[in-house]
Amino acid sequence: MSLPTAPAPGRNKRLMNEVFKHLCVLGIMCFEILPIYMMLQISVKDNTTFIKNHFLPANPWIPNEKEMKTGFQERVAYKSETTGEPVDEILFGIIYDEKMKSGYQVPATVADLAVQLQDEAKAGGEELTPFLYERAWSFLSTSKWRWSNYNFGVKLIAPYVANTVFIAVLSAVGTLFFSLMGAYFFARYKMPGSTPLWMAFMFLMLMPGIANIVTLFALLKHLNLLNTLWALIIVHTAGGQVFNMFVLRNFIEDIPKDLFEAAEMDGASHFQQMMHIVVPMSGSILGTLAIFLFIGSWNEYLLPLIVLDDQELFTLGVGLIYLDGEYVKRWGLIMSAFFVASIPLIIIFLFTMKLFIRGLAAGAVKG
Amino acid sequence: MAFPITKAKALREWKLYYFVLPSLALVLTFAYFPTISAVYHSFFEWDGGSGKEYVGFGNYSKVIGDETFWGSFMLILILIIANLFKLIPSIFTAVMIHRIKSDRAQYWYRVGVVIPMIVPGIVVLFIWKFFFDPSYGLLNKVLDVTGIKSLLVGIDGLFGWNIFLADAPISWLSTPELIAPALVIWGFPWIGTVGVLIYLAGLQNISKELYESSELDGANPFQQFLYIEFPLIMTQVRLSLVLMIIGTLQGFGQQFLLLGINGGPAGAGMTPGLWMFNKAFNQGQFGYACALGMFLFVFILALTYINNKYVRVDK
Repeated sequence: MSLPTAPAPGRNKRLMNEVFKHLCVLGIMCFEILPIYMMLQISVKDNTTFIKNHFLPANPWIPNEKEMKTGFQERVAYKSETTGEPVDEILFGIIYDEKMKSGYQVPATVADLAVQLQDEAKAGGEELTPFLYERAWSFLSTSKWRWSNYNFGVKLIAPYVANTVFIAVLSAVGTLFFSLMGAYFFARYKMPGSTPLWMAFMFLMLMPGIANIVTLFALLKHLNLLNTLWALIIVHTAGGQVFNMFVLRNFIEDIPKDLFEAAEMDGASHFQQMMHIVVPMSGSILGTLAIFLFIGSWNEYLLPLIVLDDQELFTLGVGLIYLDGEYVKRWGLIMSAFFVASIPLIIIFLFTMKLFIRGLAAGAVKG
Repeated sequence: MAFPITKAKALREWKLYYFVLPSLALVLTFAYFPTISAVYHSFFEWDGGSGKEYVGFGNYSKVIGDETFWGSFMLILILIIANLFKLIPSIFTAVMIHRIKSDRAQYWYRVGVVIPMIVPGIVVLFIWKFFFDPSYGLLNKVLDVTGIKSLLVGIDGLFGWNIFLADAPISWLSTPELIAPALVIWGFPWIGTVGVLIYLAGLQNISKELYESSELDGANPFQQFLYIEFPLIMTQVRLSLVLMIIGTLQGFGQQFLLLGINGGPAGAGMTPGLWMFNKAFNQGQFGYACALGMFLFVFILALTYINNKYVRVDK
């Protein structure tokens, strides 16, 4: 016999509490995602739309033929002077300019259009119908998503992305390979002299990197590595040794010793032991560290700025700095380039979301 | 721990030293050598190449009289104090996510926290620069719409600052007085991805019984935070505090990208790191920059030492 369950006294309150927490977190997330939202919505706007309306997304659709009789005919009739093909942007520009000359405000959002129409309906309303199509057309044509921004973004950013991927992949692989070897040395046996060596590595963890940058530049100049991608790869590889070795050493020491002994019995060399025991056993931590290293190279801009001169060699960081200086106030183009710059990270994120989140927490606590 | 090894066996396994050799060579060349070279060159007047002239402690005594260098610590102090408060939103978010009952929702909120990481840091920086744009920026728009701008103009009139004018947009990054406030507002709502995840990892170790018994004692949510959650994530808070202070002290990328190598109008955005960078790569005084670097180096090393001694982070 079970007792009839009465609703708990504080149940409503608890539910409200739960809803409140969700709302709090969601609110914070909204603010947090705001820069990404701005980037995405501006990246498909052309400058005229942007100047009228900075913050709300433009309309994604183009009107169907019935709705835009006048506009559509004009559009087909208009050909570019040079190529003979119909060019949307120029057409938009012409319509827009004519309207502006006659003191006509091209509405930037649906809400603006509605307000204008209402105002005119109140004022008299006779003119409303004949111009409606044209107006709808001019409105929609200036505010439809302008994907051609991305042509520019991809064309400009793709070489930088390629350079950066090259650097990021090579330096991640190099860092992990060498630091794994180092970690294997420290974790396998207590070799004579390994303690002072370890201290020498760990001291670098405390050392601020800032004092180095001037002399590092001089060193690279001396080694004839200025203006090469190899300079960045080597410096990243060297800079990543300490932290990664620290994490990997702890990891290798947790691997059961019997495995190594059995492999030794079978005559495996140390290198074989590393490749066939350590690497398979530490797959997930290697993955996490690789992601960190990749993101690290992706976000780097100071060293490339000093080292690189040729535009062909620019990495993303330097490329974006130059872009920001060169395309001042052409926000649609700039933002589309920004989005293109984030695509590789988005792809990595989508495939390794769990590794990302778990690894970030674990790695951060250890570091 | 690693296996102890007898001397005889170590001799037989000498090939193991090959394993540490590449790392050692890299670290010696690209971390130790530049540091030692910086110490050495701080005693020289040096143009970055072969031309150098021994000046003894000349660079150091110049640094001690360098007003720009010491003045730039004022901005660092302001930023450190502001960053102290900026730790609060991350803690708040972590606690809120932790207290949500549904595991699935917790997971997706975590994903939400991580999402900003998919945009390169420099892009976020430039988007924020756009937010601060006088005529197109979000910040000025928000101030206009909420009426805060007219309030600011009123206060300005009261004190006669002549910064906020009713008929001109506020130009955040080109008014010397507004650069520090702009750097403080920067990055609203100040959620640090790594910070939130560290706090969440700490919060997960708190047992459910603590919450239950505190509820029986009639503790309200805020008291629960104050007496249970906060003391138990103290380790993580300390860790991020230390990292924040060291990061702020040596950071200059943000100021460099936003305001240029001279730290913006009237050098109001100058930080010690940026001054060092400027001396080396703008004015070509590499030796002097090395001496500046030594000062920073000592400050940061002292901070790290204090941290290791008093703010021990136990795993």
